[in-house]
Amino acid sequence: MTALLHLTGVGRRFGGLEALRDVALEVEAGTRHAVIGPNGAGKTTLLNLIAGALPPTGGTVLFDGHDITGLSMPARARRGISRTWQHPAIFPRLTVYANLDLALRAPETGVNRSDRRGRRGQLGTLLEHAGLAGDVGTRAGALPYGRKRRLELAMALAQRPRLLLLDEPSAGLDPIEITHLIEQILALPAAVTVLLVDHNLDLIWSLAHTVTVLHHGRLLTTGSIDAVRTDPKVQSAYLTGTSPQNPRVGRRRSVPSHPGADISNHPRQAAAEQPEQPVVLRVRDLRAGYHGAPVLLGVDLDVRQGEALAVLGRNGAGKTTLLATLAGLVPPYAASRVELIGRVLPRRPRPHHLARAGLALVPQGRRLFGPLTVAEHLRCAAALCTAPATPGGRSWTVEKVLELLPALATRMQHRADRLSGGEQQMLAIARALLTNPRVLLLDEPSEGLAPSVIAQLTDTISTLVDGGLAVLIAEQNLDLATAISERVLILSQGRIAVACPTHELYEPAQRACLQRLLGVAAPTTASPALRLSGEPGDVAPLNPEMAQDAATGGDPGE
Amino acid sequence: MSVESTTAEPMTVVDPAGRQRHPRPRSVGVTAAVVLTALALPAVVDAYTISIASTALVLATLAMSAQLVTGVAGLPSLGQAAYLGVGAYTAALLANAGYTNGPTQLAAAALTGAAAAAVTAPLVLRTRGTTFLMVTFAVAEVGRTAASQWAAITGGDDGLHTPPVTVWPGTAPLRVDGYIYLYVLVCFLVLAALVALLLRTRLALVLRGAADHEPRLGALGHRVTAALTAGFLAAGAVAGAGGALLVAVNRYLSPADMGLDVSALALLAAAIGAGSMRGAVAGAVLVVAVRDLLGTDTGGHATAVLGAVFLLVAYRRPAQEWLRTRVQGGRR
Amino acid sequence: MTYAVTAVDGIAFGLLLFTVAAGLTLIFGVMDVLNLAHGSLYLAGAYLAYLLSGGDLLRLGAALAVGVVVGAAGGAALAAAMRPIAGHGHLDQALATLGIAFVAADGFTTGFGGAPLPTDPPRLLAGSISLAGHGYPIYRLLFIAIAGLLAIGLHLVITRTRHGVMLRATVADPAMAAATGINTRRVQGAALAAGGVLAVTAGVLGAPLLGPAPGVDTTVLVLSLIVVVIGGSSSIPGTLAAALVVGQVQTVGVIVAPSVAPFALLAVLLVTLTARTRTRPAVRPA
Repeated sequence: MTALLHLTGVGRRFGGLEALRDVALEVEAGTRHAVIGPNGAGKTTLLNLIAGALPPTGGTVLFDGHDITGLSMPARARRGISRTWQHPAIFPRLTVYANLDLALRAPETGVNRSDRRGRRGQLGTLLEHAGLAGDVGTRAGALPYGRKRRLELAMALAQRPRLLLLDEPSAGLDPIEITHLIEQILALPAAVTVLLVDHNLDLIWSLAHTVTVLHHGRLLTTGSIDAVRTDPKVQSAYLTGTSPQNPRVGRRRSVPSHPGADISNHPRQAAAEQPEQPVVLRVRDLRAGYHGAPVLLGVDLDVRQGEALAVLGRNGAGKTTLLATLAGLVPPYAASRVELIGRVLPRRPRPHHLARAGLALVPQGRRLFGPLTVAEHLRCAAALCTAPATPGGRSWTVEKVLELLPALATRMQHRADRLSGGEQQMLAIARALLTNPRVLLLDEPSEGLAPSVIAQLTDTISTLVDGGLAVLIAEQNLDLATAISERVLILSQGRIAVACPTHELYEPAQRACLQRLLGVAAPTTASPALRLSGEPGDVAPLNPEMAQDAATGGDPGE
Repeated sequence: MSVESTTAEPMTVVDPAGRQRHPRPRSVGVTAAVVLTALALPAVVDAYTISIASTALVLATLAMSAQLVTGVAGLPSLGQAAYLGVGAYTAALLANAGYTNGPTQLAAAALTGAAAAAVTAPLVLRTRGTTFLMVTFAVAEVGRTAASQWAAITGGDDGLHTPPVTVWPGTAPLRVDGYIYLYVLVCFLVLAALVALLLRTRLALVLRGAADHEPRLGALGHRVTAALTAGFLAAGAVAGAGGALLVAVNRYLSPADMGLDVSALALLAAAIGAGSMRGAVAGAVLVVAVRDLLGTDTGGHATAVLGAVFLLVAYRRPAQEWLRTRVQGGRR
Repeated sequence: MTYAVTAVDGIAFGLLLFTVAAGLTLIFGVMDVLNLAHGSLYLAGAYLAYLLSGGDLLRLGAALAVGVVVGAAGGAALAAAMRPIAGHGHLDQALATLGIAFVAADGFTTGFGGAPLPTDPPRLLAGSISLAGHGYPIYRLLFIAIAGLLAIGLHLVITRTRHGVMLRATVADPAMAAATGINTRRVQGAALAAGGVLAVTAGVLGAPLLGPAPGVDTTVLVLSLIVVVIGGSSSIPGTLAAALVVGQVQTVGVIVAPSVAPFALLAVLLVTLTARTRTRPAVRPA
């Protein structure tokens, strides 16, 4: 058997961030090859490198024995590589018919361009297979989300690809749609090789012949489903985090010691148990979403002074949307109610008012001000912390922050976009601390970081919580989340599925639940279509422009 | 085969080209009525209005060019007047060299307009969005400056006076406004028909795709830059032909005819048309009517009136929203 | 030697363009608005200088003071005008600012007529000094000095001060800047006012170099747009370098090769854009 796709030593850097390093991969012709890995592992980057949307910073890509490393995306498409995007990339103002017509009329799809009848026949077949026959005349932008996805897949198939790249094909789909998707992929002719990336592991288990696991931009392993699922390295990457030693499960400081105590997310009980720890952030019935598509369907939570509450959940469960909404970057729906230090926040607060009132966000992907230096970041944030030191909230200065995060002190004059991932994360935390927050919102702080850096990060956050700060942390890295938090919420489909003290997570009953909600293990009873993640707010956009990108689908291109 | 037969039914119901603005019987009727009215116009209105109508047809031609780039390919151009200028100078120089035949001038102007577009395409098509707007504007202003600098050829800022066009070799030159109008109208209709044909081709579909989602188009294997270049060339040809019509109408040409305000009016007409070619033509007629009929009643403040039209078009959406909330508030 | 004198003229013209383009860049960077009415602000300043010209330094000072007020008010008005159509696409913004430019142009011709109006520098600065054997107007040298200082001052404010840092943070990521506690709306308003002040000031000071006349708004606008595209709209030094290049092309170039000079600008534009697209990755990291 010869490999259709052959990658050697492929890597990609983005400024100071090494998204992929030295990846070697062989995809055999006719196989269904899946790439999995935690957030920030470099899966989408890998797909972009193969599709030609990004040039690699190292290595070679061979397709069917030919070196295609230097070829553009259209040139690769003409050689038989087609793809889909995380957000369906379609032509929103054109009709479904025109979308497919554009796909069929691309050069070298094997379709005779002047043969209108033949094209129409093919179009009919494609429409039928995609279940879009009733939508031919509809503008693609007006289709419901699931149909947009089907249209995109139909367009990719219309190219008669030899290699089909699917980036999160199940994102945002409901269980029935996922079943349909699986059937469709299984029904593909053997001539079509499929390389897919998805967070829905149930889908992967039911489709893939071979699975490659990426972790921190490196290839962890490649093998059959069974081999990968039982691989301890994979287990640890997904479930127990990264550090080799046993995690410090559950911060003992404020957790009641008697077993069986109900520390679920119930404010009255919690308050009764811990009268000395006032609730600083109280959230009731929080609902939010993008462009009319709800992501959060009613979330209640309390965060007390000096405690860390961890929010877990698979990609698309609504974690980022939760934090972005609390920071004022996404407007919540009408019924929602948020109290900060006993004060009810206005329904549509301006983000800078929230920041000054004591809510600080460390967003997913850091979102530093790229061209500004470290010193300028600190100065900018420090200039704004006009709020006086309040109980539980320290009066941070640049000196104190540098004491906490000494790595930054040697990088003061460096541009933020030239820092390493760990330094960037430290800077993002420093920027947030200098606004003297009462509540720190941390969104996936460990994403893309090396294990040693994560260990350091864990210590830093623990120090902050010990100092009296309230922390709400969304994490995929269980190790980090459990090491710093007293309580854990598991979000699923925009709702809280589980709320329990952190130490209970490792009890057998919860363990099974955890496996189901977060892990790599196959579901024992449910159908492969069981889907616990995948709202459109997958990587929740934090500003309207990005939300627009997310809605219209695909990369901005520039 | 069985799949084909089951899908044949919905296919026949739906517009086979899948375009939103495919002519329906009623809109064909409206277009026919408009064309007939336009043909009958010289018999109805005075010479002054007819000369304004001729000017409107020239701007309508330029508006079609702007719409090809802006509405179809999604690139906001503020420089289409440059290609009109190239075509116009071609026609004027031909006329002064003794080639007074109108259709010849038209063809030559379209060719040089397309050639100018081909020369500038590698520069402007490197950009998108606002930068495209800036660069097309810069290209047009450079063209205008060059036209006023090259006084030996273009007559500089004094401009060029040209003899009237002839429709057929040996026939009398067109001097009467009504005849000039009819000549320009026929030329415009031919150009409009060609543009309508172009909009039914694969190229137009690819251009609309590029406006909607360029990475997707590339991922399908389409040669995006080649398609955009072809579209830009076609727009240059249409604008160049518009230049020949301009010379036929005015019998005079100066660098001011390819200035920012001309490009801006074409862009305005395209924006009024909101992506549709017919809309752009109607927008051009509206703009010229506002400037030359309404503007003269304002005591020489036609420019300010046009400015108001720009603002009206720019604020149509917030204004609609405001009106809607007012109406709903009133009902409550 | 005449080229050397023309080259000094080129520096003066380049600095004039820089002052206008810096304002344009500020507005574009902070609010993503391409202000096609920017030339009108320059023209307003130039007409202001004409009204108060020919007198002593006091009149120039008065013109500057009024210019600052007019510029700030113009910038603030632009900020208010752009807010309702924010997020409606660049075409609507372009149409709105074009509309403002059309109305302003009509106002200028109504108020000042269609002829160019010569604007003299204050009497005290009207003479010329010997520059390598050639008489050179004192005012132009002074303009170079003032505009040069303005460029340095602007660079220092943007790179060194707290407000400059807040401005750049807002340009880099408005939503995250707001989440860090920056009142981004106020930063945007201030930046637009500053941009207006720069354009009007350029008009007041630059009127003896490029006097008020219909069409000057377009000339200034297109040249400063070219400066913005070449300069890359990210840094003051970049804008300054681009402005000086354009200034030289527009003065020395026009004398050396009058028919080719306009196209030299396009060549510079092509080279910069080509170089920039080469270095930029096609897709942002996800």
